[in-house]
Amino acid sequence: MDYKKIEQLLERYWQCETSLEEENALRDFFTNGEVPAGLLPYKELFVYQKEQQIEGLGADFDARMLSKVEGSVVKAKHLSLVSRFKPLFRAAAVVTVFLMLGNVAQRSLFHNDALDYNYNNYRDTYDDPNVAYKKVSSALLILSDEISKSNNLNSADSICKAATDSVMNE
Amino acid sequence: MQEISFRKDILPLKDKLFRLALRITLNRAEAEDVVQDTMLRVWSRRGEWSKFDSIEAFCMTVARNLAIDRSQKMDAKNLELTPEMEQATDASGPYNLLVQTERLELIHRLINKLPEKQRTALQLRDIEGKNYKEIAKVMGLTEEQVKVTLFRARQKVKEQYLAIDGYGL
Repeated sequence: MDYKKIEQLLERYWQCETSLEEENALRDFFTNGEVPAGLLPYKELFVYQKEQQIEGLGADFDARMLSKVEGSVVKAKHLSLVSRFKPLFRAAAVVTVFLMLGNVAQRSLFHNDALDYNYNNYRDTYDDPNVAYKKVSSALLILSDEISKSNNLNSADSICKAATDSVMNE
Repeated sequence: MQEISFRKDILPLKDKLFRLALRITLNRAEAEDVVQDTMLRVWSRRGEWSKFDSIEAFCMTVARNLAIDRSQKMDAKNLELTPEMEQATDASGPYNLLVQTERLELIHRLINKLPEKQRTALQLRDIEGKNYKEIAKVMGLTEEQVKVTLFRARQKVKEQYLAIDGYGL
């Protein structure tokens, strides 16, 4: 290679006027070819640049990095209709279990107070028919008294109302 | 527009990001953490990947910002970077295997002593081979500012290197 040209390139290199291609040519010249004594002091500057280009990280870094990155990826999962409603079914099952338990508890705790609608299970309260008759008559009398009381009250109200109306008319 | 894949498009940037972070933090373990944090941040914004003009420039910007944060935190711990320490950190990596001569070590130290902006510009241009537009995007500067920063960096390295070399190192 023409050393004069290299000297010119080198001068332009120090002035930052060289292109990337020209800088590559300089690097190639100083690392591969025979370098004349006049240019020898600059040789190591370009050898250093070339050697620094192979500095790097090992393959273990790739593995470590990929495990960090790909480990955090959330993969898409196919969900069927049944599996989609699974949580709902679970909730419904829990509610059903609670309702059943509540029902059982209610039956076992309050069974005696429950109304028995089966007339065949009914039994006589009194052994003596006379006593039973008296009890029923007295119960009916009390009922009749209460009904007549309420009727009187209603008629008293209507008389009072009629009197008030007549006074108002006058 | 082509879909961006983490495995194919972002993970292969690890070496470039590592070299940039290493140039800023000057510490291999910190630089590796920066790359990891950068990738996790970029991953967390995967919904916006299609909006970026260049995912590489975006990754570089994130890495640079994280590396600057980390190196500032390291400075805050009052750990002064003495030449011995710089060499000690360098010796821990494969860099030492590559560097065969004292001259290469000297260049390495001279570049690492530059201010962060000059170091980053030099790294992105001379080692990563980025054009001025890409560098401007990563560094948040204009192309003209990148040129000026790179010019100062190259001049400083050249002057100091030739000065020391002149004494017969």
